[in-house]
Amino acid sequence: MSTLATLRNHYHCHHWKAAGLLVPGLLLCSAASGDRIERHFKVDAHPVVTIHNPNGMVTVRAWTKSDVMVVAKRATNQVEVDAEQSGNRVDVQTRQVADTASPDDLRTDFEISVPEDAELQIHNDSGGVNVSNVLGDMNVETIAAGVDLEDTAGYLTVKTVGGGFQCLRCAGRLEVTSISGNFKLVDLRSYYVRAQTSEGNILFNGSFLPNATYVLKNYSGQIEVRFSPGDSFDLSATSLKGKVHNEANLTPSSHHHLASRFGNALFGTFNSGRARVELNSFDGTINILKRD
Amino acid sequence: MSTMGCNEFLNQLDAWMDGVRPSEGRAHVRECAHCRGLVEDMDAIRQTAGAWAAADEHPPARVWVSLRAQLEQEGLIRGAVRGEESHRATDLFGWIEGIFAAVPRPALAGAYLLALIAVSIALTGPSTKQLNESRWISGTQTSTGQLSAQLQTAEQDSVSAMQESNPVVTASLHDNLAIVDNYIALCEKSVQEEPENEVARDFLYDAYEQKADLLAQMTERGVNGR
Repeated sequence: MSTLATLRNHYHCHHWKAAGLLVPGLLLCSAASGDRIERHFKVDAHPVVTIHNPNGMVTVRAWTKSDVMVVAKRATNQVEVDAEQSGNRVDVQTRQVADTASPDDLRTDFEISVPEDAELQIHNDSGGVNVSNVLGDMNVETIAAGVDLEDTAGYLTVKTVGGGFQCLRCAGRLEVTSISGNFKLVDLRSYYVRAQTSEGNILFNGSFLPNATYVLKNYSGQIEVRFSPGDSFDLSATSLKGKVHNEANLTPSSHHHLASRFGNALFGTFNSGRARVELNSFDGTINILKRD
Repeated sequence: MSTMGCNEFLNQLDAWMDGVRPSEGRAHVRECAHCRGLVEDMDAIRQTAGAWAAADEHPPARVWVSLRAQLEQEGLIRGAVRGEESHRATDLFGWIEGIFAAVPRPALAGAYLLALIAVSIALTGPSTKQLNESRWISGTQTSTGQLSAQLQTAEQDSVSAMQESNPVVTASLHDNLAIVDNYIALCEKSVQEEPENEVARDFLYDAYEQKADLLAQMTERGVNGR
C-alpha cells in the first residue's frame, strides 16, 4: 500500500492539481515552465530507494536523518514525477505525458537525500548520476550518462553504455562495465574491483588492499595502474596486440607461463604479492607506473 | 513480505543471473514458486554449462527438456519448439532462438542471449584444459559462426523495434553497437588467424556477450518505449 508523505512545495510551484492530491504517490505540479517539487518519506533502517529518470541529473547524498527527501526540478509539465513509498522502499520515477515533447522538455533533475545505509537502484539514460557518502548496496545503469561515486561502500554495480565512470574513495565490492566509457578509480578501499570497458581508458590510482582482487580489462585505449613502494600484489598484465609498460620491480612468476604464449604479457610479484591484479587488453596499452 | 512483483523481478532477471541479488528480489524468489523455478532453471543452465566444459561437449537432454517443459507450463514459450531428441549443438541454438522469438519480455530476451553465449562457451570447452585442440578449434568455429548469425538476427529485431525518443540515447546505442561490432570483427579475425589463441577467443566471447547485452537493452527500449 502506498503512503503519501509530507508534501512541501517551494519556489516556483504554481499550484497543485486537486486531482493529483487524491492519487497516491503522484506528484503533480502544474507549470508552464520549470518547477521544483519536494517530498519527504519516513523510512526505517536499510531502506531501498529506486530512481528511474531517463533524462536529467540524479544527485544522491547521504544525511543523518531517517528520511528520504526527494527534490525534483522538471523542465516542463510534459513530464510527471511519481514518488511512492511501499513499506521501507521509495520508488521515484519520471514519466512522459506528452507524445510530442522534445528531450529537453522531458529533462528532470533530482536531488535526493537518503540515510547512509540506503540501498540504491538508479536508472538514468542521459544526464548524469552523482552519489556521495551512501554506504548501502548500489546498482546504477545508464546509457549515455556518466556516473560519479564518492565515499560510497557496499556492493556497487555500475553499467553504462557510453557514459564514463569515476569512483573516489569507494569501498566494498565494485563491478563496473561499459562499452565506450572511461573509468577513473581513485583511492579505492575496495576488496574486489572488476572494471571492463571496450573502448575506454581505465585509470586506477590508489593502494592495493591485502587479499583484494583487481581485474581491469578493455579492448583498446589505455589501462593505467599507479602503485606505491609499499604496495604488495601479484600482477598479471596481458595486451594481445598492444604494449605493456612496467615500472614495478617484479619477481618473476612461473605459474602463468601458458598464457604468455599469446600477446605481450607480464607476470610477477611485487613485494609479497598480497593483492591480485589482473590487467587485460586486446590492442590497448597497459601502463604500470609509480605513483607521484 | 515481498513488495516486488513478477514483472519487476523478470525485468531484473539478467542482473540477477549476474549476481546482483537485492533483498527485494530474494524475498520475491522465496515467495513466488514460478520465479523461483525460473531462477533454478537458469542456475541449472549455468551449472551444467560448467560441467560440460569439463566433461562433454553435448548438454544432457534432460536439462533442456525440463527447462522447456517448465517454460511451456508457465506460458512463457510456445510448446513443441523443437523435438525432444534435439540435444545436439545445432538444435540447441535453434531452440534458444525459438525462445528468443517467442518470448516478448525484454529481460528474458537478454537473459537467453546471455545463456546462448554461456552455452556456446561451454560447448567449445575450457581454454586451458583442452586436450583435443583440433576438436576445440572445430567447436569454436561452429559455435562462433552460429553465434554471429543469432546475434545478427537479434540485432535486426532490436534495431527495428527501438523507438527514437531521445536522439542522444539512440545515437549512443547505435554508436556503441558499431564499436562492439568492430571488436567482434577484430576478434573473429584474430581467432581465425590463431585458432589456438585462447586469449583472443575470450575477448571474442566477451564481445559477443556485450553485444547480446546491448541488444537486450535496445529491445527493452523498443518494448517499453523508454
